[in-house]
Parts: sequence; structure tokens; C-alpha cells
Amino acid sequence: MNFRLRLALLFLATLVAVQAFTALLAYGVARRALISDGERQLTVGAAAVARQLDDISARVADNVQVLSLDFALRAAIAQDDQGTVLSALRNHGRRIGAERMLLIGLDGTVRADTAAATGAEFPFPDLADAALDRPAAAVVALGGKAYWMIVVPVYAPKPIALIAAGIPVDDALLARLQQLSALPNTLELVTLGTDGRWTGVARGDARVAIAPALAGRELPLQPTLLRLDAREYVVLATRLRESERSAPVAVVLGYSLDDALRPYRNVAIAWASLVALGLAIGLVGALLIARGVARPIEKLAAAAHRIGAGDYASSTPAIKRDEVGQLAAALSNMTLAIAEREERIRYQADHDAVTALPNRHAAEAAIQHALLARPVAGALLMVGLARLPEVIQTMGHAISDRLMRDAGRRLRPFAARGLVARATDTQFALWLDGADRADAIAVAFRILDALGVPYQEADLSIDTAPAIGIALHPAHGDEASALLRRAEVALFAALGAEDPVGVYDAGTDPHRPERLSLMAELREALDRNQLRLHYQPKVRLADDRIDGAEALLRWQHPSRGAVAPDAFIPLAERTGNIRRVTRWVLASAIAQAHDWSMRGHALRIAINLSARDLADPDLPTRIADLLSLHAVAPRSIVLELTESAIMAEPDTAVQVLKRLADLGIDLAIDDFGVGQSSLAYLRRLPVREIKIDRSFTQKLAEDVGDRTLVRSIVELGHRLGYRVTAEGIESRAAFDYLRDVGCDHVQGYYIAPALEPAALEAMLARDDDAAHRGVRA
Amino acid sequence: MHVGMPAIAAWMLVSTAASAAELDIVVDDARGAPAADAVVSLHGAGPPPPAREPLTHAVDQRDETFVPYVDVFRPGDRVVFRNSDRTRHHVYSFAPAKSFEFVVAPGGDTPAVVLDRVGAIAVGCNIHDRMITHLYVSDAPWVAKSDAHGRAVFHDLPAGHYTVHVWHPLLRPGKAEPEQAIDIGAGTATLRFALPLLPDPRPDPDDRERARY
Repeated sequence: MNFRLRLALLFLATLVAVQAFTALLAYGVARRALISDGERQLTVGAAAVARQLDDISARVADNVQVLSLDFALRAAIAQDDQGTVLSALRNHGRRIGAERMLLIGLDGTVRADTAAATGAEFPFPDLADAALDRPAAAVVALGGKAYWMIVVPVYAPKPIALIAAGIPVDDALLARLQQLSALPNTLELVTLGTDGRWTGVARGDARVAIAPALAGRELPLQPTLLRLDAREYVVLATRLRESERSAPVAVVLGYSLDDALRPYRNVAIAWASLVALGLAIGLVGALLIARGVARPIEKLAAAAHRIGAGDYASSTPAIKRDEVGQLAAALSNMTLAIAEREERIRYQADHDAVTALPNRHAAEAAIQHALLARPVAGALLMVGLARLPEVIQTMGHAISDRLMRDAGRRLRPFAARGLVARATDTQFALWLDGADRADAIAVAFRILDALGVPYQEADLSIDTAPAIGIALHPAHGDEASALLRRAEVALFAALGAEDPVGVYDAGTDPHRPERLSLMAELREALDRNQLRLHYQPKVRLADDRIDGAEALLRWQHPSRGAVAPDAFIPLAERTGNIRRVTRWVLASAIAQAHDWSMRGHALRIAINLSARDLADPDLPTRIADLLSLHAVAPRSIVLELTESAIMAEPDTAVQVLKRLADLGIDLAIDDFGVGQSSLAYLRRLPVREIKIDRSFTQKLAEDVGDRTLVRSIVELGHRLGYRVTAEGIESRAAFDYLRDVGCDHVQGYYIAPALEPAALEAMLARDDDAAHRGVRA
Repeated sequence: MHVGMPAIAAWMLVSTAASAAELDIVVDDARGAPAADAVVSLHGAGPPPPAREPLTHAVDQRDETFVPYVDVFRPGDRVVFRNSDRTRHHVYSFAPAKSFEFVVAPGGDTPAVVLDRVGAIAVGCNIHDRMITHLYVSDAPWVAKSDAHGRAVFHDLPAGHYTVHVWHPLLRPGKAEPEQAIDIGAGTATLRFALPLLPDPRPDPDDRERARY
């Protein structure tokens, strides 16, 4: 049952119920009022009827009395003239309307009777007896009829007889009484038969007989509700003056409720018509209203379905300003709110909350989208702020967020050619549509300019140290994800390098898949002892003796063959494998140093450390353990570090270096002269040796500048108290020049390449022989 | 005891023969009011008083009323009705003892009617229904009419057994007339009669002219 039908039914049911209730109430009230009205009328009417009968009897009695004084009649009676008496009685009876006239002797015998034979006892001696005091009257039942029996004495001049007049109380009399009483009542005279049942003897109203309804019940001397002929009547009986000898006689008055209600029947019909009309109007109205309510609700339901399906655009139906209209408005508002919220969620899903720039996910999607158009070129710039992790650690996220927001603002103008997005906490990604390598680098420098201005806040100025990695399409990839990753790789490279702008170089990409496998193989090589240490001899120029060697790592790969250190050392550094490598190198080199010293070779073994090794605070302890394990004197080894390694994490490095120096281990700066090391800084380190980078020594024979530079370095080193070693010596000229300028040690192919321990040992043997002979080989 | 009664009575009669015996009769109506105009008759064993000569009684009609209301006659007495009113009266009687009918002109009178038979004769006026008089003809040895106090006194009665009979015009018709027996000795004896009487049909003197309704 749908809403419309239910609403309509509710309307109708309410209407019918209210009308029915009202009708019942009105009927009940009217009925009660009519009943009490009927009771009152009956009470009055009964009294009136009794009084009228009394009046009639008095009048008749007077008439009979007058008749009784007729002289001729008296004479006839006195003279016992039966014929005269009887005719006179008849004559007088007609005059007064009596149906029956009797002459009764003073002894109670009937002396004359107009209706029957004489000689019988008068049936109502009580009336005869009373008549001598005053005229006696009573209603009596006689032969199935009711009579007012009036008895008066005949004086002549003293009482000589009694005359009884029987006035019939018949239908006509009752009808007349009813007319006189002017009451619309049913009037009936009843008498108690010998069978104990009340029977009607006269009726004033021919329509209905009350007597049958009285069967088996008391005479209703109080107003009583009875059903006569299937109709309701209020009935009241009143006993009439009666003779002792007569059967009881009563007048019963009936008040017809139906008749009384008849005037109301028209009202009821009018009412019913009104109800029917009201029902019809109500039904139509209810259906209209229900339709008016249900239609908009159905529309709203349809609108809600559309909204559920995600269609926010189609508007909710415009509806009047009622409750449903409010619902529609609320639905409309809700739709807007949902759309807005969904838009916000989508925005948040695609955007970074801090900078309001697209996030990495969105950027990747957008770049992928741009790549679908198959552009000729494109560049992805990954901008990283090197100082940001530090800022977060020291000053918290609030400032870093403000800083990033500021950086985002500065970068925003570069979105004109493509897209600016925040890729990670510390990185922004820029997509430059159609940019080639030169464009990309040019833009990168402009970005560096924009970000180079320190971030300013109240009493704070932060240099963010930006760096940019560039990946180019199509050279570095066709996929957004690949470009992003490669730009990030380039950025990582740039962050550590002098040049803050780096273009992706597949060769140094530690994240190339093959590199990952190389690292796995490196770990395997460590486990399977596939690594070897080669030693390049160092010649002391003071006596041309070999007094040291630099341990150099060699990896003989089972399938790749010899792998160059440059190919796996930086990778091992980036992947965290370098410490295991260093550990292996230290153990191996110190063991070798022990071996050689056992054989009588006083060689100082130089071991290279990575920048990452300096971050390991356990390094000094481990070296000390190895030295004591192999009973090698600390002076028998030298640890070589590049300038960049020392500069990368100065604080930790200084700590570690100092502890190594405390162990009595000499430290050497490798590749001296190409880094950015500050001499003042180096002075603070416990360094004992510097090794001049090979780039300065390889052209010593030809290049005057290099010669000057090398001489200056040697002089400077000596003045600072360092031993000076020159690497990459490949010619006699260089060897001689270095001896001339007073360099302490030299190493290089001119003397020997890195040799296997056995080969070096053989060389040492020859050296010893030569020394003995006093000549240089 | 019962057997000895006449002897005692005879003794009493002898011993009081020289003295006069008296019988005092009091007649009331049922409510105890004295009933005038009651005729008391005595029959007894003793010698009756000597008979007198017949008399002629006059019954006057004055103010539409017969006067007297009750009169006692001896058989053979006569009665004359006299009209003292200025209207005519129609005197009649249907009594078995004597029936007659006279129209009496104002100031006139009727011829004397000899009442030779014993009985109560009710006389009325056919013109005036209320007028009634009773002529009581009695041959009883002693007869008297009660006065306004309802008393009738008999003097010098010889001692002996008497039957006392009372008649009254307003006694209910058809009923036996009251009677009592008494033994009279020396001294005064009293008998009381209480009679159930009908209402007096005669109008009160005060509203005589008024209509009944």
C-alpha cells in the first residue's frame, strides 16, 4: 500500500469515524432527550387522561342525577311500573349517551335493565353502597367491554332505588380523549383477563396495540421502554378508579420514539448526504493532497538515487515552500555539500596540504597524461632542499612546512611550461613540456636562483641548499614513474656533488636493476672470498727503497670477469654494503701486513676507507682488535681517506679520526688537491700524510704549471708537517722531478702496478738484492 | 341463672310498682354527634298508656322547608300541609302507608289527610327537590322523638321487659332498623344508640338558595 493510498485512507477513515461518532453521539443525546421528554409527556398525559375520565364521570353522574329526579320516573319506580321504568331508563340513557341503564333496588337486586333480564344481583354492590353517600363512578369491565359505571340514588323523596348508567369507554371515547389531551400518544385501555393476561378493551390509536407487549410483565406504572411491533415505545400505565368486583382496568399510554424521531429523520438524511458529500470531497482532496505530497517525494527519491550514483549536477526538483520543499532544499544543500566535500577529498587526494601543489601521485598521473600525447621532448626536474631534514630535526615541522610553502610559492611560476608538484617531504617535481637538455638545465639554474635566496622568518634565515636532478624524455624513459625515479636519482647525485644540478646518468644510477643484482653478487663474493687485495708498492725517494704498499681491491667475478672498483665501490657505498667491504679489506690487509712482517719485510700497508666508514663509531675499536689479533703494530698501516669523505660528515669524522690517531695509526688524505678541503680544517685533523692526486702528476714532464703546483704542494705539505706521496707516476721524468722537489714517496705504473702479494714479494726480494748491490733497477 | 331472671324481674316490678320508672334513650350518629329527629318506639309487657283521641297535625312549608322535619302520628291522626311561602309547593308521597299529591298555592293548605296505616311516610315537594318531611305513623305503646340533644325520655314506665326500636330518616335504606331489649325496674335506665346515618340531604339554612354546583 503506497503512501498516497494510505494517506487517502487515513483521511477517509478519520472523516467517517468522526462523522459516525458525532452521529452516534447526536442520536444518543436526541434519543435520551426524547425518552425523557416522552416520560414527561406520558406522566402528564396519564394524569390528564385520568382527570378527563373523572370529569366525564362527574358530568355523566350529574346528568344521571338530574334524570333520577324526574317525577314521572320516580312515580313509576315508586309504583313499580316496570314497563314505564324501562322505557324511561332507555330514553334517559340515550340522552346521556349511556349504553346500558339499570335500576337497582335498595336490596341490591336489579329491578330493571335496558340490556338484560331483571332479578339478578347488581354485580358492583360496592358502587351501589357508595352511591347513597355520593354519586359513585368506576371503570368496569363488563362482557368484554369497558364502561364507566355511574350509580346514583333515586329520591322520592327519600332513596327508593338506584340508577346505574353504563357509559362505554370505547375506541371513540379514547380517541376523543386523545384529541382533547393533544398528546401524540398511543392510548389504550387494558383489563386483566381471567387468564392473568392484560387484554386491550379499547384503543384510542388504531395503529398499535400495547396490550400484547404487556404479557408476562407487571403493569408499567413507571415509564418503561418497550418494543411494540418492532418499534420502540415508552409506555406508562395508570390504574383507573375501579370497582372492587370488576377486573382491574388500566389506561396505558404509549409514546412512540420512532414517531418522535421522525422529524430527526430528515436531519439524519441531510446529515448522511453531507457526510457522503464530505467523503467524496475528502476522498478527492485526500488523493490530491496525497498526490501533492507523494509526487515531490517520489521526485526527491529519484533525485536521491541520482545523487547516490554520483550525479550532483542535475538539480533537485523545485518544490513549493512546504515541508517537502524544505526536504528538497535540504537535499539540494546536501548535494552541494557532498559535491563540495567530494571535490575537497579529491583535491586533498591529489594535492599536498602544505603547499597546495599537486602531490606525487597526481603529478605522476599528470605527467603520464602529458606523455600520452607523445611529446618530442620533456624534462622532469626533481628539486630537493638539502637542508630540510636538518631543519625538521632542529626546528620542527611547523617551520619546515612554512619553508616548503614558501618554496612552493617560489616554484609556482615555473608551472607555466608544465607542472609543479610536491614529490616528497623535501622534494618538488617540475615537468617541463617539450624541454630538451639545454632548456632543462637553463630552467634548473633559474630555479636555483629563485630558491637560492634564504628563507626569511622573524629572526631566522635558512639557506635551503637546493639541488636539482633532471631526467629527460625520451632519453631516460617513457614512463612518468621511471622519469620521477631517475630524476630523483639524479637529485641524490647532485645533493652530494659540487654541481647542484645533475642530469641523470645511467652509469651511476645505483637503482638500476642490474646494480641491485651486482650488490647481491658482491655480498656473495664477500662470503665466497672472491675478492682479492692487490698491492701497489710505494717507493721512498730518500733511498729508493720500497717501504710501503697501497692495498687495492680487485673483484674477479666468475662470469663478468674483473670488475673495476669504480663500478662497485660507489654502489656499495650507496647501498650500505661498503662497511662489510671495508671490514673484509681491513681484515685481509692487516693479515697480509702480519704475514709480510713475519717474513722480514717492513712494509707499511695503506688501506682506503670510505666516507661511510667514518660514520661508524665502532670502526676504531674494530681496527684495534684486528691489529692486536694479528700482532701488527699500528704504525704498520696507514688509513687513506678522500677529502670529500672527511668533509661529508665533519663532526663524526673528526671524532673517529681522532680515535684512530690515538691508536697510533697514521692517516693520509687521498686525492689531495681536487677536493674542496680547507687547509685550516685539515690542520685540525690528525693527518700525517697527503697524497697528491694523479691528475697533477701525470703530465709533470710537459706541464710547467703542474710542476709548480706539485712543488708547492710538497713544500706546503712539508711545512705543515705532512709526509707527501705522489701517485700516478708513469715516467722517469716525473720520478726524477719529484725526487728533486723533495717528495717523500711515489707510486705508480713507473714503479709497478698493483701486484698480487706474491708478485710484490718477488719485487721486494729483487729490491733487496739491488739495495745490496747499491743500484736501482 | 337464665332461668331465674323472670323471678328477679317480677320481684323488682313488685317492689317498685309504686314508684315511677324512667327510660332515657340517647341517639348518636356514627361520629358521636347527637342525632335529633330519631323516633324511638317501646313495646313492653306492661299495660300501655290509655289511647287518646285522634289529632290533626299541621306541617308547615316555610322557606322551602317542611316544618317539622319528623313528626310522630298515631293511626287515625290527620295531617294538613300549609304553605307559608310565596311559591307553590307540590306535596307528594309515594309511601305505601299513604300516597297523595297536592299542589299547594302560596298561603293555602291541603285538606286533612287521614293517616290510618302504620309506617314511615316520606313527603317531598316535586318543585323543590330538597324539601322533605317524614310522617312516622306508629301504634307502639310508647313512642317519642329525640330532641336536639338526641335524647328521648320515657317517664312512668311500668317495670318489665321492653323492646326499644329506633327509626331515623337518614338510616341507610335496605338495612334492618336498630332494636334493643331492656328490662325496666325502679329508677332510671339508659340506652344508647349509635346510628350509621346518611348525610342530611336538606340544605343548610345558610346556603339554602345557593345552587349545588
